[in-house]
Amino acid sequence: MPELDMTQTARLPNPDALSREAAPAAAFFVPLAVLGLLLPSYSLLAVNQHLLLAVNVLALNFCLGLGGQASLAQGAFCGMGAYLSTLTVSAWPEGAAILLPIIVAVVFVTGALISYPMEALGEGFLAMATLGISLIFTNVVHSLPELTGGGEGMVLHEPIALPIIGALQGDRLHYFLLLALLAVGVYLYVCMRGSRLGRALMACREDSLAAAACGVSRPRVRAMAFGLGAALSAVAGALYAHYAGFISPNQFDLHLSLKALLFLVIGGPGRLYPPLLAVLLLETALSEAQILGEARTLAHGLLLAAALLFDPERRLPGLESLVPRTLRRRIS
Amino acid sequence: MLLLYLAQTINSGLALGAVYGLMALGFSLVYNSSRLINFAQGELLLLSGLGLYSMTQAFSLNPLLAIAAAGLWGLMLGVVLYATTLGFSLRKHPLKQLMLTVAASLTWQGAAILVWGKKPLMLPQLLPLSSVRLGPLFFSQDTLTALILAMGSGALLSLFLRYTRWGRAIRAVSMNPLAATLQGVNPKKAYAMTFALAGLLAALAGMAVGPQTMLRYDMGLGIGLKGFVAATLGGYSSLGRVFLGGIGLGLLEALLILTLGAEIKEAVTYSILIVILILMPHKEREAVRA
Repeated sequence: MPELDMTQTARLPNPDALSREAAPAAAFFVPLAVLGLLLPSYSLLAVNQHLLLAVNVLALNFCLGLGGQASLAQGAFCGMGAYLSTLTVSAWPEGAAILLPIIVAVVFVTGALISYPMEALGEGFLAMATLGISLIFTNVVHSLPELTGGGEGMVLHEPIALPIIGALQGDRLHYFLLLALLAVGVYLYVCMRGSRLGRALMACREDSLAAAACGVSRPRVRAMAFGLGAALSAVAGALYAHYAGFISPNQFDLHLSLKALLFLVIGGPGRLYPPLLAVLLLETALSEAQILGEARTLAHGLLLAAALLFDPERRLPGLESLVPRTLRRRIS
Repeated sequence: MLLLYLAQTINSGLALGAVYGLMALGFSLVYNSSRLINFAQGELLLLSGLGLYSMTQAFSLNPLLAIAAAGLWGLMLGVVLYATTLGFSLRKHPLKQLMLTVAASLTWQGAAILVWGKKPLMLPQLLPLSSVRLGPLFFSQDTLTALILAMGSGALLSLFLRYTRWGRAIRAVSMNPLAATLQGVNPKKAYAMTFALAGLLAALAGMAVGPQTMLRYDMGLGIGLKGFVAATLGGYSSLGRVFLGGIGLGLLEALLILTLGAEIKEAVTYSILIVILILMPHKEREAVRA
């Protein structure tokens, strides 16, 4: 029997894990920042929408990528942030700096509270239940027309005003704000992936029974991931609502949740930059392609199916068999 | 006056309840045999209803022919859905199978937009029935159509599952795929059969719901979720209870419209679903596939 090498199995993750992440982060964010400076202001409107979607995809990555829970409620959390901030900031424009953190905290707690009891449901039932949450959100917005404007939506006149910085206005500023939010999300994700919490989440994803047997409190860690994702979406929603100056329930309906799931699966859940690249490249391509017209939904479905069939774990299935078995085992 | 409202509520509740019951039956057939939550269940209804609409535009169908055409078209759609989702991902992770049904749902919805457009289409009433008055109650033509289609197909399905070889194969696979395989049942055929049956039931549901609410490209996920709620209320295992779950859901919705208004009823329905799911966790059993 081969001796177990304890130093190998008990080795802690590299302490300078964050510095190893610097190169890919720079490769991702620097071109985007340059792009933001070069693009004409009018074309940033469309790009900002893609950035909003990218933040949602990243937020979904917390619970699906790390925790293995497919959620369809991301659009609802984004909308919650947008509506809460619209309603409160327009009532008290000077208090945005105080109100926004409160909103983020509220949505975080809501997300965590929703996730906590649902943890035991398993993948399919959880997806159905979160689909229900998405529909509940749009329905509640529709059914309170005097408060939310109902299906017609509502127009906002108040930009977010922060102390020192002043009012947040303009396409380019919002581009960089959303980009900064994306960067904060990426930082959080990387920190979480390397932390005890992240490892517990990944253990739940790989084998929930074994994780529970090792003392991981599954509801608690998953609620944490769910809440963080929800909070990230809520910030993006709030920013976007004040930027666009108009919100309606259609912007945050099931469509947004489905799209977030779609691009996350295309890029590969649990991977950091490929899903974000998938959003920015594919969504730009899809929205630019005028030929598609009404066929966009069909294209989304086919893309998702293709991404699922093209198994990311086995890129080149033919090549693996060429490697002798003994060698293969040593490599893995 | 109150009696009249109640009679109207029961009438519309039964009409939608029968449709939910049919969707729930299809849903639990697939779930019981393969432990797969079928997100594309509502799209089966959508495409079969739209297909039937095109058939009624092209030919004049008599009632029996219409049922047969809808049934065959639904069976075919079910088999296509099986072949494009579970059929080639049997050994994959359950999450991947689930996502494949989501992909199918998007693809089919996209196809429906391309072929039939985004305008809601009114499916004509295909069964020659007239409304019936029973004391204080009355049943409109839509309600009778839905009830007859649902109860007829439910009874036939029950006989099929109980007495035919194929039906017994489906039940055996639902209980234990490995043991069923050892007894010579091909589980893949049983899975395909449940999808085909779900397609058939969805086609009949489409036939019942088309004249009531019209067919719109984005109705699939909503009505599929209603079927899921009904199946959850019924507990998945017994045909009768699952169907009653659908009827109960329909009546509950009609009652909610009467008391709270049409807008908020969906939110209440889905909240009930979530509460039920949490209180009685139908934990997904491990899919032991042979």
